[in-house]
Amino acid sequence: MIQVDGLTKHYSDLRRGQLIAVDGISFHASEGQIYGLLGPNGAGKTTTLRILSTVLRPTGGRATINGYDVLTQAAQVRRQIGFMSANTAVYDRMTAWEMVEYFARLHGLEGDLLRERMEGVFERLQMNEIRDLLGSKMSTGMKQKVSIARSIVHDPPVLIFDEATAGLDVLVARALLNTVAELRDQGKCIIYSTHIMREAEKLCDRIGIIHHGKLLAEGMLDDLREQHGEHDLEELFFKLILHHDATVTATA
Amino acid sequence: MKWSNVKLILAREVRDQLRDRRTLFMIAVLPILLYPLLGMSFFQVSQFMREHPTKVYVIGASSALSEGTPLIENEQFAPRLFNTPDKVGLLELHFAPDVLAPGETLDDVVSQAKKRVEQGEFDAAVYFPPSFGEQLRQFREASESQTIHRGDEESAAARNAAIPRIPRPEIIFTTANEKSQITFARLHDVLRRWSDELGKANLSAAGLVPSAARPVELATDDLADATGNAGRGLWAKLLPVMLLLWALTGAFYPAVDLCAGEKERGTLETLLSSPADRSEIVIGKLVTIMLFSMATAILNLISMGFTGWLIVANHPSVGLPSWLSCFWLLLALIPISALFSALCLALAALARSTKEGQYYLMPLMLICMPLAVLPMTPGFELNLGNSLIPVANVVLLLRTLLEGNTLQALRYAVPVVGVTLACCYLAIRWAVDQFNQESVLFRESERLDLGLWLRHVIRDRRPTPTVGVAVSAGILMLLVRFFMAVTMTPPDELSFGFLIRSLVTTQVAVVIVPIVLMTLLFTRNPAKTFLLDRSSWKWTTPLAVLAAIALAVVLHPVIVTVALAVTHLYPMSETAELLSKTIKEAPNLWVLLLFFAVVPAVCEEFAYRGFILSGLRHSGKKWRAIVVTSVFFGVSHFMLQQSLMATLSGMVIGYIAVQSGNLLPGIAYHVVNNGLFVAMTRITPKTIEEWPVLQWFSDGVGQAGYHWTIVITGLLTGVLLLGWFSRLPYQKTNEERLQEAIRRGMEVDDKPLPSTAM
Repeated sequence: MIQVDGLTKHYSDLRRGQLIAVDGISFHASEGQIYGLLGPNGAGKTTTLRILSTVLRPTGGRATINGYDVLTQAAQVRRQIGFMSANTAVYDRMTAWEMVEYFARLHGLEGDLLRERMEGVFERLQMNEIRDLLGSKMSTGMKQKVSIARSIVHDPPVLIFDEATAGLDVLVARALLNTVAELRDQGKCIIYSTHIMREAEKLCDRIGIIHHGKLLAEGMLDDLREQHGEHDLEELFFKLILHHDATVTATA
Repeated sequence: MKWSNVKLILAREVRDQLRDRRTLFMIAVLPILLYPLLGMSFFQVSQFMREHPTKVYVIGASSALSEGTPLIENEQFAPRLFNTPDKVGLLELHFAPDVLAPGETLDDVVSQAKKRVEQGEFDAAVYFPPSFGEQLRQFREASESQTIHRGDEESAAARNAAIPRIPRPEIIFTTANEKSQITFARLHDVLRRWSDELGKANLSAAGLVPSAARPVELATDDLADATGNAGRGLWAKLLPVMLLLWALTGAFYPAVDLCAGEKERGTLETLLSSPADRSEIVIGKLVTIMLFSMATAILNLISMGFTGWLIVANHPSVGLPSWLSCFWLLLALIPISALFSALCLALAALARSTKEGQYYLMPLMLICMPLAVLPMTPGFELNLGNSLIPVANVVLLLRTLLEGNTLQALRYAVPVVGVTLACCYLAIRWAVDQFNQESVLFRESERLDLGLWLRHVIRDRRPTPTVGVAVSAGILMLLVRFFMAVTMTPPDELSFGFLIRSLVTTQVAVVIVPIVLMTLLFTRNPAKTFLLDRSSWKWTTPLAVLAAIALAVVLHPVIVTVALAVTHLYPMSETAELLSKTIKEAPNLWVLLLFFAVVPAVCEEFAYRGFILSGLRHSGKKWRAIVVTSVFFGVSHFMLQQSLMATLSGMVIGYIAVQSGNLLPGIAYHVVNNGLFVAMTRITPKTIEEWPVLQWFSDGVGQAGYHWTIVITGLLTGVLLLGWFSRLPYQKTNEERLQEAIRRGMEVDDKPLPSTAM
């Protein structure tokens, strides 16, 4: 479903020259799986997911989603995915219903199918009471629900969630995690980035730990635990990062 | 591009804008309120202005008292000297004392009066010399005595000498003060009428009919009055500018909200990750902005027209613009709005926030205002040169149409529409490009630091120039050439030596210095930049050089024919004629060839097909790079006729350079092409006699030109040669390869989405 090979992204930065945001990472995720991308802030999670959602272009390497190349077949890729991140906001001057309908139509849904899907999504996310509420009047939780509705209304095979629980209270975050788990059970391929270990532990089937643009470790959660002899994910995470920083300083 | 997506985006953006109170206020409420309010305040102010009397200081009034035709009655100017007697009160007279104070001279009084006018105590002063009344009387008596001796054989000069000089009263006022100017105008009118009356009285005293002094009375007939077109001139100047300004304002605010605003609110990324294509997003937004721009312009004009109509109702002399004018305005509004909308969209895409977006309005206005107002200056008329200036040409065309010169307007409609559409296209492309650049869409605020930026550009330079550097080089060369042209004024008599000198300086200053500097600063691999590195030499290169020479030879008849057609359409200017005459009379053909064919060809090829084309090819579009390079190359020739030809030739050379991957074939083509033109100037009837072969180069009328069979043969052979070039395997840039991969990727059909039930 998602295949990433040696993906690289450079930025030119005034102060530091070439800045490597993503440094040759490779992983894959298949349907019915949640792939957790774990890393501290600025590790390159958002850049990776932006490349997967075709918003950014990779500098090197290759990534395909459902067989389509993110660089050369961006249009087809966008039709296969639902993308939601802390940076994808909700329109202020549109109601929940209008917003979801707009994106559903952009995905080519029309007529009865559109209506059916919309009703289904609103029912499932319990959004019927905010149907006619303008985006500017919504709480963070409501906005997040609208964003989820927007990204799943066209029933895409691949879902990309970038720090989806950022800024949410415990109740809303928990509801969101449940929804993501449900989507996985429906056979979606989900890639989920976070820096909260508890979320990853609870939700993800496979995990990739990313730091300074590099993928430090990658595999099924249980395999990782076994390999590194560390059951607690948080400890595992710290160990890997400290080890990496130590080697970098040593070689430098 | 899917139009259903464009329509969806358009519908959403329009609804979004209509829900925005600020936009609605700018577009609908402001114009509806603005003009009536403006009209009302104007009305109030003008009423206030009209009623205002001005103060006049009168010196020596007693000497101006003349029997029969009094100037002053009851301490005021005589009512009969005004258009309507009720205007008498507008000039409030204050009299200087008739008797001088002890120790005071008349000069003191006058200089004091001047001071008082300057300080604003009085708006103006009138000074009658002390002997004024007396001299006036003498003058009349003298002219009466002249009548008696009318029959004498005295010479006219002697007769004139006998008449004493007419004394002159003086009006003291200052143009620095508007009120003083108004007073001057009022005074001037009164005194002129009075002097007319005096003149008539003198004439009748001398036994002549009063009309003798003015045998020719002029009658005027303003056709505009009769045809009900009065005020056309006013509308023709006012309406196009208003249209332009409001179209720009109306485009700007929605553009900022739709781009910078969306970036700020974080909804742009949502949209970008949807299946909507970048071009669909841009077109959807563009049409939205256009709609609002047009609506703003139309509502403003209607509101202004209505208020104007109410005011004008009192002045029947100024008619309303005709329906036809309104039609032309509406028609012109479409391309104007499209152009401004695309410009605003691209600028707004560049902005990181609405606040930054607002800052861009001022520079945009500063560029557009002079272009819009320029055509208002008298004497600025629609002609070929002016019809090529963007924005200004539309205003001019509209002005000409509104003045009723439809034929004149239609003659230049083609260049105006062409230039406007080209600008629209470029602006839209710019906007789409902005949306395709992630560095623009995801720009992060960085401290502005010019030094840091320059260091970055130089430190992180690539083997060949970037698109931005290439465009800057093109603009830099144009600027330098412009300043050279302004500072170097040719002598009246063009000498060959001067020509060579200016040519060499131009090549050095305009082409060599900027290009060498930019190459050293901004590229790592000059050889690759100039298409002269190892990979550019292939076994086909010598063949390509030969083919290029052949191409230049066979295309020459075609180019000459087109050039003749161009000069026929747009005749050469005097300087250009002078230039070609000097070339014709040049002493030595070889020197001429060296300086007019070889030197410019080599320099320009390094600059244009080397530096600029190599840079522009990083845009990923081969043809766009060739065309833009050619346009830069063409514009740098500065003379319209030459520019057109150079642009055409530039495309051929650009194509040769890209296909052969080497600079030499292009240089060969350029040298041969220039050389043939130079050689042609040497063909005279005498040379044809000596070399009968040269007859082929003459169209038989003695004019330089080719027989049409040669032109057709040349064209066909040229096409064949270009066909050979097209089969060369040319080296693509990474960007071009990517674009190709994307094109191929797009052709793959979508897999149907799985239709699992929710």
